[in-house]
Amino acid sequence: MRQPLLLLIPAVVALLAVGCQKSVEPEQPLKNDLLKKTVGPAIVGDRIEFAYAIGTLEGDLKNVRAEATVAGGPGTGFSRNSWYTNYSTGVDQPKQTATDTLTNGNVSTANILDVATNKAVTLRYYYYPTADSQGKDVSFRFSGTNSTGKEVSIQSPNYRISSMDMKRSIVLGDGAKAYVSLADMTAYTKAEVEQNNLANKIDFVYVYRPTINTFAFGHAIVAPSNPTYLADVTLPTGLAKPRTAIDKRVDVKDAQLRGTAGFDVFIDDIDLQQTTFTNAADYAYGLAADQGAFVKSADGTYAAYVYVNAVNNTAKTMTVSIKRLKLK
Amino acid sequence: MKRSILYTYLGIIALLGLCACGKDPIDDAGLLITQRSQCYMTSFDLLGSDHRTVLVSGQTKVDTTALTVTAIAKFGTNMQRVKPFCSLVSDAIVDAPMGVWTDFTQPQLYTVISGNRQVRKTYTVTVTLQK
Repeated sequence: MRQPLLLLIPAVVALLAVGCQKSVEPEQPLKNDLLKKTVGPAIVGDRIEFAYAIGTLEGDLKNVRAEATVAGGPGTGFSRNSWYTNYSTGVDQPKQTATDTLTNGNVSTANILDVATNKAVTLRYYYYPTADSQGKDVSFRFSGTNSTGKEVSIQSPNYRISSMDMKRSIVLGDGAKAYVSLADMTAYTKAEVEQNNLANKIDFVYVYRPTINTFAFGHAIVAPSNPTYLADVTLPTGLAKPRTAIDKRVDVKDAQLRGTAGFDVFIDDIDLQQTTFTNAADYAYGLAADQGAFVKSADGTYAAYVYVNAVNNTAKTMTVSIKRLKLK
Repeated sequence: MKRSILYTYLGIIALLGLCACGKDPIDDAGLLITQRSQCYMTSFDLLGSDHRTVLVSGQTKVDTTALTVTAIAKFGTNMQRVKPFCSLVSDAIVDAPMGVWTDFTQPQLYTVISGNRQVRKTYTVTVTLQK
């Protein structure tokens, strides 16, 4: 009885060994892969960046192609450069590996250079969302070919194009371009407001006062409704007095509004949709670089984040960048 | 002799086991009710919408006898939207809850409740604005 059981052991071990083996697919001679490098929202005025990698074991790399479901704006397409890190300096260095980079409508193409040595390259593809694509989803199909006629491709997921508008580096000046319209995302002077009948479009006023009543005040944005902090300002004739809700923040350093690398905080549509302004003030004072304020127009049409890029006490100016969402 | 030592040892083990299984009382919020009867506030702070303190440094006074807190908010503070925080003696709780946006244009009442939940003391918190 025991002997037949013992005989079964090698068979079981053999079956287990076979069962544990991974099925090995034959090596593909042409491979590709895709990485989305940007992590922030896709917003008009900024770009999405992809790294598309392709390599061949047979023949030479020939060309690459990217097709977007929605055509991008100017600047959309492949970059001619691949990048490598200089180990001495730690700085990324470009090296041209592609040429004839073209974008026609939804399709971008590039030809690979120096194919005898460039058997594997990673190219950057930039996509600039347009105003027409706001609120829509966009996806991309990347593909490449080699000289043997083989083709390989990879499909990206869908990415939602933000409904927000963004405008960077608006210079506000105390007593000058101090009147800001969220609808226009523009700063006007008192004369411009009066001459262009903008009295009903101004959401906040920029003022700089080092102190008020001996207390530190500094750079501020104030709704026209506020009589206290605009007491010494001669407002444009007929200026409406909406109570714009203004809620100061010191720790929301939006990377896109900041415009520099190294920050990974982003304001997205949902932030402007869901920010509550219960009992919010109609002013924010003591503003400094990297600070800002959530702002909502008095009629509830727009919510925005006003980010302070820089302040200048001598020139009495404040440079701001704005992300704005139309709520209704 | 050996047997009596063994029984004593087993008895202690059983007693410890019973103590370990006993449930400590907790309140409605799931917080431990302890034996402490101390009941007072030790500090108070108020944050603005930017989550930075709005109080003038060194001007906050917690009077545990008169049951009052007085503080001065910096010039320009929006008193309608500030968030109070405080610290309490060990195991005590406070009602209404702190850490929520509150209108401090009028004095607010906060009741400190001791760790044994037997002692309650209501503090009046008054914050005046620099003008």
